[in-house]
Amino acid sequence: MIKMYKKAGSKIISVYWFAMILLVAGGIFGMVYLFYSHPYDVRELEAEALSNSIANCLSNQGEINKAILDSEGFNESFKNNFLEECHLNLNSEDIFGGIPQYYLEIHFFNSNNLEKSLFNFSEGNLNLISSCEIQKEKEYQREAVCLEKEFFSLDKFNEELYLIKILTIVRKTEKNVK
Amino acid sequence: MLNKRAQISEIMTWIVATLIIISILIIFLYASTILAQKTKIVQIKNLKLDSGKGTDLLEIKNLIAYESASNEDKQIIENWKEKNNEVS
Repeated sequence: MIKMYKKAGSKIISVYWFAMILLVAGGIFGMVYLFYSHPYDVRELEAEALSNSIANCLSNQGEINKAILDSEGFNESFKNNFLEECHLNLNSEDIFGGIPQYYLEIHFFNSNNLEKSLFNFSEGNLNLISSCEIQKEKEYQREAVCLEKEFFSLDKFNEELYLIKILTIVRKTEKNVK
Repeated sequence: MLNKRAQISEIMTWIVATLIIISILIIFLYASTILAQKTKIVQIKNLKLDSGKGTDLLEIKNLIAYESASNEDKQIIENWKEKNNEVS
């Protein structure tokens, strides 16, 4: 009789161990799944790459692009065809439902007055600019990522120095944040 | 009677052990979520080349402009840089 009870007890224990192994395996699976299901947030790098390509278009070898300036000053046709001139494409994937995911803003300042912009233009989704104001107070992952860069460039023809400010905003929240 | 008590205490031991295992698993699941949220943000400041220094293209552009600028413009760039360093 005692032997029978012992047999039943050991059966229960082995079922318990089996359940424990399943539980721990499920836990490990859950941990790996949770970790790897989070996408990498590369929006800051994307904004950096975008601002670098804009900077390369606006200035080369420390000299401002000749297409930006003409004899009368800043060239309006460059402003109107900025994306084509700089070979940029701001279209994004279908998952964003056709809503532009980028915003670019470029300001030119004369070195004598670094406060007042002489020439500026923008492209993309203007609604994204509100994210930058919010991000100044606290970082929210679901908001768009803003990157502001500035650099000097020379106009050798008129012997002028300009400060160029580039604001790049990338949203793409659905692909970079869970 | 004594046999029953022994059985109950043995069952209690297993129940407590199970609860400890489950709670540890829950803590680890939670930790992996937090870790995924924090470590999967790729930031420029964290990217470093083998030399230990990150390269900033605009910094290079500034340097080139500085080298070809007149003395007056060089002073403007220096002042701007000083002001920027103070802010950061």
